[in-house]
Amino acid sequence: MPDATLQSILALIQEPVPQPVRDWKSNGQPVVGYFCQYVPQELILASGALPLRLRGVGSDDPSLGDALMSGRVCTFVRHVMSLVLDGRYDVLDAAVCANTCDHVRRAADVFTHKTDIPCEFVSVPRSPRESLFAYYLEELRNLHASLCTRFGTAPTDDALRDAIRTIESNRQRLRALPPLRQHQAPKLTGAESLALHIASQVLPPKDFQSLADELLEALERRPGFEDLRARFVLIGAELDDPGYVRALESQGALVVGDQLCFGARSVLPPIDPDAQDPLEAIARTYFFRHSCARMMGDFPARYESIVKLVDDCRADGVIFQRLMFCDPWGADHHNILLRCKNVGGFPFLSLTREYGIVPTGQLRTRVQAFVERIEIARAQATPIQEGGES
Amino acid sequence: MRSSTQMLREPAWRELLEALPVLQTFFDGDPHSYGIQSLLRCVTSYTNDAFAAVDNGKPFVWYNLGFNSELIYALGDVCPLPIESLGVLHNLLGSLDRSMEFIDTAVATGVPSDCCSADKLAVGAIHKNLYPMPACTVGINTPCDSQVMATQVMAELGQAPFFPIDVPYYHDDRTVRHVAAQLRELIPFLERHTQRRLDFDRLRYVCELSNQTTEAIWEWLEWRKNVPLAQSSKLVAFTLVLQILFTGHRNGVELAQALLREVKERTVRGEHFYEERARAIWYQDPVWTDMQIYDWFEQDLGLSVPVDVFGFYAQDGLIDTRTPDTMLEGLARKLVNCHPMARQFRSDMGVYIRDFMHMHEAWQADCGIFAGHIACKHAWGGIGLFKEACRKAGIPLLVFEFDMFDPRITPNDEVFFQVERFVNEVVLPRKARG
Repeated sequence: MPDATLQSILALIQEPVPQPVRDWKSNGQPVVGYFCQYVPQELILASGALPLRLRGVGSDDPSLGDALMSGRVCTFVRHVMSLVLDGRYDVLDAAVCANTCDHVRRAADVFTHKTDIPCEFVSVPRSPRESLFAYYLEELRNLHASLCTRFGTAPTDDALRDAIRTIESNRQRLRALPPLRQHQAPKLTGAESLALHIASQVLPPKDFQSLADELLEALERRPGFEDLRARFVLIGAELDDPGYVRALESQGALVVGDQLCFGARSVLPPIDPDAQDPLEAIARTYFFRHSCARMMGDFPARYESIVKLVDDCRADGVIFQRLMFCDPWGADHHNILLRCKNVGGFPFLSLTREYGIVPTGQLRTRVQAFVERIEIARAQATPIQEGGES
Repeated sequence: MRSSTQMLREPAWRELLEALPVLQTFFDGDPHSYGIQSLLRCVTSYTNDAFAAVDNGKPFVWYNLGFNSELIYALGDVCPLPIESLGVLHNLLGSLDRSMEFIDTAVATGVPSDCCSADKLAVGAIHKNLYPMPACTVGINTPCDSQVMATQVMAELGQAPFFPIDVPYYHDDRTVRHVAAQLRELIPFLERHTQRRLDFDRLRYVCELSNQTTEAIWEWLEWRKNVPLAQSSKLVAFTLVLQILFTGHRNGVELAQALLREVKERTVRGEHFYEERARAIWYQDPVWTDMQIYDWFEQDLGLSVPVDVFGFYAQDGLIDTRTPDTMLEGLARKLVNCHPMARQFRSDMGVYIRDFMHMHEAWQADCGIFAGHIACKHAWGGIGLFKEACRKAGIPLLVFEFDMFDPRITPNDEVFFQVERFVNEVVLPRKARG
């Protein structure tokens, strides 16, 4: 039954360090926590460590982070760093941070000055263009070498090729999800899909693959969700809370596609393990991936991809969620609204949120109103728009 | 493109141009206030040139405040336009209603309210169609994410080709080379879209002007180390304005030399308008909404601000003008390691804290004031480490929240009250105790 497998997955991802990661660690193998999707899992794995995506799940109180970082840093980073400072990430042998955003940069400072966890840093160029690729590649070569030195492993191409194959096995399973979601009667909810994507980033690959196989098999037998009031695409900043998506889906609508950093955007195109330079192949795929809002000059491509996803999913509207204080996604918020206004675009609901809190009542009211507007517009066959900050 | 006459029908421009001569007359009352007089002259000269450029159909290049103007001046008759300029000038010249209107427009069009007001000023002005449309736009990721936000909105609203410049996290030579390579890439982009050729002899001339400006700034800041400070506190933040808009132009040299001449003469004459009782390093953001507040600090509290983070210009060498490559490397070095804020805000907290400690010692300060612009998440994100460093160094530190361009967040009276209480109850008693 998919429900039983999903319950297992949900239970595992409720903890910042799932039990299989502790098991991995207890076997004497290192674990590396990382922020940001521009830090390749493959490099960490090839150095002999398990990549563990840092999350703030399980943190009730960000006060340890607040004390060092103030209340002006996004709650995602503050919760993560509160867990780190509270010893909840006690399995980490190292952390990797990137200049993803101002908040993650400061997390690196906290790692460096307030913990015993060594922190590696990757400076990711702010524009995905060919002339800047060499810099990113050099950063990744340095990171790979440094991690291998730290863990006493040889930085070999063979290890990289194996890591590519392992992570690709994860991604192959995740690539099976969009058709199931985009179906007229979707086979799984947005919340369930997000949970599986998160699991791929926080579990040892073997554990993830076994759960994913179980789930995919069970989903084949599951009847689809019929009579949906509306179909949504969900986009925006860091969101790793299936409960939040569940609240969005509580009004008879379903999230049938997403471009979340923890969700579908984590699934990259295949990387060729037999490439002459596997590290370059990794770097190229990561650098020219579907970009994060931090990447300057790439908004037109991001917007086109939203339009395509809406089309592919036959979605009725787009829900944009943004963590308070996130500037990069603030730009995309403005620009999407502008395009929706100028060129028609799609029905758009904008939500500002805090990490770890699901304001169920407010959220349901907003979504219900949005669904009703879609239904009314559908009945009247006229396009609608919604904008503004919530 | 609209004519200057059409642009001048916009109240936002008309009010600015009306205010400039009034202020000029006002400051003429103090014949030795060369710095502020020069600033007003340079702004007037810039706006006159910009309006002439509009009428003559010359191209404009938009960019954000992390960038410097040299390469654009080196194109010849191309007008540089920092997108924050109109909003900042209104703020600086006291037209707060106008700048708040820009901020509100930005929020109404989808910029989140927690983004930086400097960028909201920019976005609001663009939405109001107050700037001549650009031939192309240049965006740089310094000093912070809010600037990244502004550049992306600029790229969307500017409806012109956009060139992003990436400044990495580090301060080393590799970083400088990386930025220099992008400047090399930028030149053909600018040439193509402005239809102007960048002449390297002209670039050399521009770099020489830039160097003269830098040397004058360094010397000016040296003179401001004298105790007591003989020149107004409020002038120090002008380094940033100067580097964004005037560097590489004779206006930049004039302004920097005027600031220097003023402090020199006032110091030599031993001029003091108030009894200096304490000196503060103003760290983070100036109170642009009311620059007179620094006069109140001086007169009511005896508090001077000899240097702040917007005014400090690191000594990292001049531009080597021997070859095109050395010039580009020198310009890159300025953007990476000298430009105020870009130097301190884009990396780890190390440079941020070290620069503060250096300023505190070199300018013989008694305390630090962290004027925490609410949208400076990078600075707030390191506040714990900064406080700790100050505590270890025995430096009294005031920390408060405000918005440097929007007085609705924290009224200036409240800012004054916080500083007053800190000076009177912490700094002066401590100083008295020795």
